[in-house]
Amino acid sequence: MGVNKVTDQGIAVVRSVVGQDFSDMDIIRALHLANNDVSAAINIIFDTPLIRVTPGDGSTGARRRSLDSLTVAASPADHAPVTAGSPTAAESDLPAERNTDSGVAAESSGSKESDWWLVGSAELSGLSTCKGRRIKPGDKVSFSFPLANKVTSPFTATRFPGRGRSVASCSEIVRFSTEDHVEIGRIPNEWARCLLPLVRTKKIKIEGFCKSVPEVLGIMDTIHLSVSVYINSSMIQKHQQTSVRSINISTAESSVHPLPSLFRLLGLTPFRKAEFTPEDLYTRKRPIEFKDRSGVSAAVLPSEKLRKLCVNGSKVEDNKETTSDTDMDSIIGIADSSQLEEMTPPDSLQCELRPYQKQALYWMVQLEKGRRFKEAATTLHPCWSAYHIADRKGFVVYLNAFSGDVTLEFPSTLQMSRGGILADAMGLGKTIMTIALLLAHSGKGGSSSSTSSQDSLDTNEVNDMSDQSPITSNKLTSISGFRKLFKSKASLVGGGNLIVCPMTLLSQWKAELETHTQPGSLTVYVHYGQSRTKDTKFLAQNDVVLTTYGVLASEYAAESTEENGVLYSVRWFRVVLDEAHTVKSSKSQVSMAAASLNADRRWCLTGTPIQNNLEDVYSLLRFLRVEPWGNWGLWYKLIQKPYEEGDERGLKLVQSILRPIMLRRTKSSTDAEGRLSYGVITCNSCCRPILVLPPAQVEVLYCELSAAEKDFYEALFKRSKVKFDMFVEQGRVLHNYASILELLLRLRQCCDHPFLVMSRGDTQEFSDLNKLAKHFLKGGKDGVNGDTCAVPSKAYVKEVVEELRKGEEGECPICLEAYEDAVLTPCAHRLCRECLFASWRSALSGLCPVCRKVINKQDLITAPTDSRFQIDVEKNWVESSKVSVLLQELDKLRSLGAKSIIFSQWTGFLDLLEIPLSRHNFLFVRLDGTLNQQQREKVLDRFTENADILVLLMSLKAGGVGINLTAATNAFLMDPWWNPAVEEQAVMRIHRIGQTKSVAIKRFIVKGTVEERMETVQARKQRMISGALTDHELRTARIEELKMLFT
Amino acid sequence: MANSNLPRRIIKETQRLLSEPAPGISASPSEDNMRYFNVMILGPTQSPYEGGVFKLELFLPEEYPMAAPKVRFLTKIYHPNIDKLGRICLDILKDKWSPALQIRTVLLSIQALLSAPNPDDPLSENIAKHWKTNEAEAVETAKEWTRLYASGA
Repeated sequence: MGVNKVTDQGIAVVRSVVGQDFSDMDIIRALHLANNDVSAAINIIFDTPLIRVTPGDGSTGARRRSLDSLTVAASPADHAPVTAGSPTAAESDLPAERNTDSGVAAESSGSKESDWWLVGSAELSGLSTCKGRRIKPGDKVSFSFPLANKVTSPFTATRFPGRGRSVASCSEIVRFSTEDHVEIGRIPNEWARCLLPLVRTKKIKIEGFCKSVPEVLGIMDTIHLSVSVYINSSMIQKHQQTSVRSINISTAESSVHPLPSLFRLLGLTPFRKAEFTPEDLYTRKRPIEFKDRSGVSAAVLPSEKLRKLCVNGSKVEDNKETTSDTDMDSIIGIADSSQLEEMTPPDSLQCELRPYQKQALYWMVQLEKGRRFKEAATTLHPCWSAYHIADRKGFVVYLNAFSGDVTLEFPSTLQMSRGGILADAMGLGKTIMTIALLLAHSGKGGSSSSTSSQDSLDTNEVNDMSDQSPITSNKLTSISGFRKLFKSKASLVGGGNLIVCPMTLLSQWKAELETHTQPGSLTVYVHYGQSRTKDTKFLAQNDVVLTTYGVLASEYAAESTEENGVLYSVRWFRVVLDEAHTVKSSKSQVSMAAASLNADRRWCLTGTPIQNNLEDVYSLLRFLRVEPWGNWGLWYKLIQKPYEEGDERGLKLVQSILRPIMLRRTKSSTDAEGRLSYGVITCNSCCRPILVLPPAQVEVLYCELSAAEKDFYEALFKRSKVKFDMFVEQGRVLHNYASILELLLRLRQCCDHPFLVMSRGDTQEFSDLNKLAKHFLKGGKDGVNGDTCAVPSKAYVKEVVEELRKGEEGECPICLEAYEDAVLTPCAHRLCRECLFASWRSALSGLCPVCRKVINKQDLITAPTDSRFQIDVEKNWVESSKVSVLLQELDKLRSLGAKSIIFSQWTGFLDLLEIPLSRHNFLFVRLDGTLNQQQREKVLDRFTENADILVLLMSLKAGGVGINLTAATNAFLMDPWWNPAVEEQAVMRIHRIGQTKSVAIKRFIVKGTVEERMETVQARKQRMISGALTDHELRTARIEELKMLFT
Repeated sequence: MANSNLPRRIIKETQRLLSEPAPGISASPSEDNMRYFNVMILGPTQSPYEGGVFKLELFLPEEYPMAAPKVRFLTKIYHPNIDKLGRICLDILKDKWSPALQIRTVLLSIQALLSAPNPDDPLSENIAKHWKTNEAEAVETAKEWTRLYASGA
């Protein structure tokens, strides 16, 4: 800034003193005259009548100033001459004004002393706005607060007609005056800002006296004041009802509540500090400080009120516990379970629980009581700070950094939702722990949902739980489709336990429930299939209802139309989502469906609470009703967005949300590379093995491509790379993500077996294709309706058949995609089956979309696309190097009689593997996505029971979850998958409770190929899951990642 | 944008329309609604509309491709199968629609309709009558209208 240049700042300072009556030009002129000396400029303005906006009015600056203040005090002691003009009018206004304007102060001084608690005292430096007045140290001062705009404007308008003063600008100025209402000065803006809204709503009052002051005041002189701030006890005691938030709304721009700022200005330092403050989240400068939680004892009070408050609150965070500064690298963290008590399961459980399982039972029962461990109750909620206020009563006051709520009750992290996430690693027996919980509290006979049988629940809490629904409904109605859920709760029938699991696990759950519970202790009903009941009462009578996510989603959809979603007519005692990551996409039907269930207790069982994205957690929290995190906006603002932007605090917040509601023990710790080693199950915090499983060895088998394979791979690679480089050049990598993934897919398949990729240019003929050609040509002779034109020409049929023979892809004329489940019409047109049927009005017949010929459904021929291999793989069979290595391994195991599972993500590769397996006389079974539930069960039974069947071919996706395959001791992962979590899921099928032998897991990687580089990508992914890599980083890294794959 | 759930087929068609436009036809989606296309068809040679640039609007309804697109001439045109509101009488836009048809084929059909007016299946009675009674004069009027309204200016 140049010396002579008038700065905006200077103008602002002058304006803040002189008010709005003067034009900018006047102020600038004055500043020029004063050579940019602000106080001189102010004097110039006040002393020069000529530059005033209303010339001719004889009054001087002093009077004007007094008019500026709403607590007008035209004092006789005023040095500045109060001249004619309209002083009488002003004077006559005075009493009325004083009453209204300083009404706050008047009233507060009138109210009982005991209602006001001293918060603290501090010194502040006021700024003199007068000249020549006197005030002595020790003199009391009174403060005047402008009224809220709405109230003030008519006043000013009538009182100062024609002034055109902008009310808004001075509405934030807090002035102080002597006892006899002589205005002296104003207090700093930062004080004014936080005092104003609070005083206006009578939350606080302020008293002050002058501490030191110059003999004779000049404009802009500093006046030291000592102020004491009192808080109204009503604010503390009835904080639930007070509309602190309405202030928040009026000062919404800052979204920082004034009270915390005021506390800071008063020099109050919390003896326990909120872990999360708005400043943290908005400024992102200060790292979160983690306070030592030891050494602080605070009153522990039941937190029902807090809970209610938190449900109401828009900005309040709830249900969190302070985190220690350990575990920062992991979102999931590992619960400090060493201090967990063990709980003996009821006798009706017919199996022995391991100690850590008893701990889990205790933990779950505690969480269901809605109250966690004692230490959780004594843990300060991370959004609250604890202060000693100066009041003689010596209270500890807790202040919410977000909402500005104040309470005397200890804001702990107690649960509102009852339930949580049991996230023990796979194979630790989540199912059995859950069954133990079911037996411990089955909700039996609980026709009323409030479960008065729960001894530990006090009535308050029960009321709270029911209170909760309307509140939640308000929140949820914002999500479309949720509104319907809050149909009158009274119509709901109280039910038992609902267990939702993937279809594959249905029978396993049933079997485990039957084997592990005393006969008759629990009634189990499987709610699945077409014949499932529509009788709400019947459903509610069962202790345990098993169903699948599919059924849940369809009943949810049905419920939106008519009244047959029985699952939604029951208020469940408890809902358990098994493999809860199924609901991870919050917008999916199944996720909405789960979140909409009515239940008192909610549990998520999952070994992988986070699979891809932090968002996965959101869905779980929404289901669990961990308020307010079911609110997407809040979640996004405070967690998702910071996290994506690389702000660690998002992650930390999640951790602290999850900590009290999630129990996770792993069998293993992660080694340096971040890849899971499947070792002994230990509880990380105590290093005491919680379950000793036989050891598992993970080994990577590196294969080398044979010369021929290498040639093929290289050729394919070059071709793909040319395409990829082209995309890079065009800068369209991410636009062509799908095509690139396809290029990669081919390369990866090539690593398994070149046959998977090879499809063209072979002389072998397909007998079924010839049949097809004949069929068409024959069709020409015995055309049903004798309409010869309707029959395709020989040439056309030949062309089509040729196309099919060559395996040419072509596209469906309706979806314009490669055919999916293609059918051939009698007129020899090829379409996707789905597309064709969608174009028909009737289910049985319709027009051919291509030629408009009428066709019947039964005339359609399934195009022979099922033959995946365009060469006769049987006759031309060659082993790929990977297959050779696999066979060697299997041969070694054969002598031991050890069973193996072979995983691949391509069923085509499983097809291929069948050839060498049969040739080497291995008996095998196969499980993939084409099998229905009964078939799966049969396959699994055969594999488990038949000692001769040594191999199970399994597609990675079909076998991912829940299935118990401890009969096998070896797992072969034939090809790496992008997401290591999926691989882990699969491997855990064999390494889990019930496994008595040592287990070997072998992963195949072909050296020098895309597979090897995928390992690096996997490692990155692992790091992302553990939080080291943010989504944002990941996105920017994505192109790099792809480039890496193509090096 | 409300285009996030645009069916793949529409995306694909759009891409193809833009990358390999049919001769004499241009169709580009509106920026704020990917289902709304601004279309221009050049009057076919050897037709009264030669030299004209005809603007049309095309909208893909929610059911597309199971329902026909809605197409309308924006440029005034003298044609027996097109009325003064620009509505087009074309069977494939009505009962003869097939999901195997595409935006491209629809527009090509319209282009063909310009080459071969069909006064026997009229939409505009007066023009059709004119066409039937005095084709030469009607063609002249069509040329005149093309000059007046579709001269590309």
